[in-house]
Amino acid sequence: MVRGVGEDRDMQIAFVGKGGAGKSVISATTARLIGRQGHPVLALDMDTMPGLALSLGMLAGPEGLPEDLAEQREGEGWVMRTDVSAAELVRRHALPGPDGVRLLTLGKLPGHVRPGSTTAFRRALGFAEEGWSVVGDLAAGTRQAFFGWAGFAKIVVLVVEPTAKSILSARRLALLRPSLPDTAFVVVASQAREPADGPRVAEALGLPLAGVVPYDASVRDAERAGHAPIDAVPDAPAMLAVRELLASLGRIA
Amino acid sequence: MKVAIVGKGGSGKTTVAAIVARTLAREGRQVVALDCDTNPNLGISLGIGPERTLELASIRQSLDDEGGAEHAGTIDELLARFGDDAPDGVRLAVVTKIEKPNPG
Repeated sequence: MVRGVGEDRDMQIAFVGKGGAGKSVISATTARLIGRQGHPVLALDMDTMPGLALSLGMLAGPEGLPEDLAEQREGEGWVMRTDVSAAELVRRHALPGPDGVRLLTLGKLPGHVRPGSTTAFRRALGFAEEGWSVVGDLAAGTRQAFFGWAGFAKIVVLVVEPTAKSILSARRLALLRPSLPDTAFVVVASQAREPADGPRVAEALGLPLAGVVPYDASVRDAERAGHAPIDAVPDAPAMLAVRELLASLGRIA
Repeated sequence: MKVAIVGKGGSGKTTVAAIVARTLAREGRQVVALDCDTNPNLGISLGIGPERTLELASIRQSLDDEGGAEHAGTIDELLARFGDDAPDGVRLAVVTKIEKPNPG
């Protein structure tokens, strides 16, 4: 396989943005492509209504990590058990998927807050073993990111549709920059209707443009049918655009 | 009537809520539109534009601030103080918003 610039290094990437912008499809495809390059890659589904598994081409339940990985201590709240390292957590609990991708799901169901499970998941966020890449799909909106869940990443990718609402959400997310001074912030225009949507969105946010993923009905159809777009329509324009996006992120990393 | 609109991100909650609110207002009803999202964009779909949407203060946050709850008035006073007027006479208020990002 021909390797492009930057493809030899591990990458820690967080995808953030408004609901429906395309975070799951783009992050799942990115994780699979990194896996195909022969790198170990951990995909993190941080959504409390998980769905990344479908876009990865896997079946995974919403159960998340076992509650007993963490314990409640007086005065400290929930803390990780000291005998479980982040590496062990990934080795034991990350589900194997296609192209060597391993998946961890937060899996906190609405109304079923499981603090031990959430604590364990947050521990896994810091996982960056030698040679491993980490691709995180954050829950829609700003909340998780504002509470530090994007802190694991060396690159934060704002996934932005060319709509006023999506751009406004991204403007809020861009407020994270001062709190993450060593992290690169880039924009990907998602579900773009025309090439000019890319520069327009990047300009509105004052951030560099890392890619333009076009609106793609074939990807929509794959998602509707519950198939991973990278398997169902590997040569669709949106899939090719994610390949270009990854090459562009590789040059940053 | 009191209507809550829920669903997955990107499924169209905000757009549907805005159209429902404005349609009810056009029928002559008094309408309060509450944006309960931590990433509140309802103002855009109601038609007040991104800048005014960004400037809306959160009622919840103002109550959480020091002494806020003790000095809070009636719901009408809160809406008057923290809300904004959208077209067709819809009164818009943001219930929850997180202002300050924390470092990772």
